[in-house]
Amino acid sequence: MKLDLSVLTSHSGEILGGFAVTLETWIAGVIIGSLLGLAIALLQLRGGRWLNRALRTYIEIIRGTPFLVQLFFLYYGGPSIGLDLQPVAAGVLGLSLYGSAYFAEVFRAGFNSVPMGQLEAATCVGLNHWQTVRRVQLPQMLVIIVPSLCNTIIVLSKETAVLSVITVPELTGVLTGIGSLSYAFVQVLMTLCVGYLLLVELTAWFGRWVERKVGRFMIR
Amino acid sequence: METLRSMMQTLPLLLQAAVATILISLVSLCFAFLIGTAVCAVSFSRSRPLRWLGMAHVHFFRGVPLLVQLLMLYYLLPVLGINMSSLTAAIIAVSFCSSAYMAEILRGGFLGIPPGQLEAAHLLGLSGLQTLVRIQMPQALRLTLPSLVNEVLLVIKASSLVSVVGVAELTRTAQNIAASNYRPLETYFLVGVAYFAINSLLSRLGHLGERRLARAHTS
Amino acid sequence: MSANADEAIEGRPAAPIRSRPVMIQLQGLVKRFGPNEVLRGINLDIHKSEVVCIIGPSGSGKSTMLRCMAFLEAYDEGEVFVEGALLGYTQNRAGERVRAGDAEINQIRRNIGMVFQQFNLWPHMTALGNVTEALRLVRRLPRNKANELGLQMLDKVGLAPRAHAFPAQLSGGEMQRTAIARALAMEPHIMLFDEPTSSLDPELVGEVLQVMKHLARDGMTMVVVSHEMGFAAHVADTVAFIDQGRIVAQGPPSEIFQGLGQPPRLQQFLHDYLERNEFWTKGAD
Repeated sequence: MKLDLSVLTSHSGEILGGFAVTLETWIAGVIIGSLLGLAIALLQLRGGRWLNRALRTYIEIIRGTPFLVQLFFLYYGGPSIGLDLQPVAAGVLGLSLYGSAYFAEVFRAGFNSVPMGQLEAATCVGLNHWQTVRRVQLPQMLVIIVPSLCNTIIVLSKETAVLSVITVPELTGVLTGIGSLSYAFVQVLMTLCVGYLLLVELTAWFGRWVERKVGRFMIR
Repeated sequence: METLRSMMQTLPLLLQAAVATILISLVSLCFAFLIGTAVCAVSFSRSRPLRWLGMAHVHFFRGVPLLVQLLMLYYLLPVLGINMSSLTAAIIAVSFCSSAYMAEILRGGFLGIPPGQLEAAHLLGLSGLQTLVRIQMPQALRLTLPSLVNEVLLVIKASSLVSVVGVAELTRTAQNIAASNYRPLETYFLVGVAYFAINSLLSRLGHLGERRLARAHTS
Repeated sequence: MSANADEAIEGRPAAPIRSRPVMIQLQGLVKRFGPNEVLRGINLDIHKSEVVCIIGPSGSGKSTMLRCMAFLEAYDEGEVFVEGALLGYTQNRAGERVRAGDAEINQIRRNIGMVFQQFNLWPHMTALGNVTEALRLVRRLPRNKANELGLQMLDKVGLAPRAHAFPAQLSGGEMQRTAIARALAMEPHIMLFDEPTSSLDPELVGEVLQVMKHLARDGMTMVVVSHEMGFAAHVADTVAFIDQGRIVAQGPPSEIFQGLGQPPRLQQFLHDYLERNEFWTKGAD
């Protein structure tokens, strides 16, 4: 089967642009989402009953509903409450909120994984709550949660494809557009597969590298 | 209250759509389990190319976004001369995507069985098949039940993507409703609640199943 | 039983125990875990420079009592006074007893140091790091001063050459000694030991008991929950026997270990213990 790749080369600028948007929205979503998630997990450590219940509800709603519906809610429903966002902004917001719920769970599990005895020792020697979090819990749990963090980051990279449904010009959106115009679906879809596989595999490889590097000095 | 009334009118439609979502998901999950079991079995095979094939399956279907897989099926099949309804294409896509996750879950389950048990089985004279059916499968299922339940919930949510290829499930119906009543906020909120309710129910059932299984084992 | 701990120690303060100031006072201490009443009214005074050993069968509440002294468990009824101050609770405006804030609790128990059965060293810091962490964060010492003090502490427990090793590289005995140094670095007035040698291989127990013996000789107030009867017999000033949440017998070691007229439960406990530990001398009778 002869494959005409000229369609791809003639649109290479657009395709790279789309890939750039994918990368930008992904990285923005990961950074904002992880910071939000960490904040939520830190609050849950100390929160009162009502705060923890509210945070728990937030996490369960986001994890219990499809990402696409959340995006539609923000992008199409937003204007009704004064939230008029451009597709990219709505996409990043959606990705960040979606990611924050998953990151919060990862961080929560991390905090819980540090043995209680070490926290007690910290208390007995006089460390206050935030000192214990900063010096005893965070350093250790960051090592333990590397695989889960990597997983969540990969999930978010794949969810960027969904952004195309609200017309964000990321890789999937751009390429399907090219495909519809030129009917070169085989090439387009091949490129999409290769593109995402590369992204996912590279991230996974990087995550394993980080795990090896950081796990070295933390033999339990 | 005008809002409330118009939303109440959409409930029967949403109920139908919810049933569609659940059916599509469950059918896909069944196929996914079968395919996943096969892929898992292949990953334990003695032939290196077969193992590699299994690994490739998992890497591909977990690496490429479900949306892209859906589009692949939707756009490529006509090109290949196969005529298939969107619904069928959607079910096939979701099945294959989920099968990769199932395969990994099951693999973890099999690996989690203490090897000493297999040794004991072999020493006692049980055949490979007997060991598989009587020793390995029950334990693997018990170990993986929580993950499998989780996969069910994930597929329910993932099914929302099939709306993109026009299948009339919950998300697609929501889009249609929102387009006609100009109340996207309320509509998508309601649909979110619907998904949440479905997932909560299935999650509850899953916990019940886990407890039943645990009780059966400790007796 | 290791030979080291069996030696009697000299140089201990001579004033009678009862006349010394009370460092920790337990009054009517009650602790429940759900429907289980683990502590059923404990009364105990710990005097300055006194070494109190708590013995008893497992499940009797020994560790729980110790943990209540440091408010690692919130006791349900009764009082724990540390150097005169009520630990863990305070009075609200309505005069009711409510749980005190973290800052207040930390303030009152700052002079208590604790050593745990599981050592609880922080694995991502060196031995020196473990010892100096609180010096830097709580006492706000600059790094060099903290390191100096930290090395002194490690030297005191005989671990100066291992200061830069990580816990994973230390033996059990070395880890526990590091934990002791860590607690000592904060200059506590009272040291609590929760089964400090129970997790150690037998040949490593001696080195830890030796350190504890020196602490006692130097006049530290100590409360030790342990199965090491040799230590209790030869180092302790007071031995308290706890059974089913109550102190059933209390007194100097000579009374508890050799005296007649002790409660049957204590006699049974000691009999079981002796039998377990002397089977190898009895031979095949």
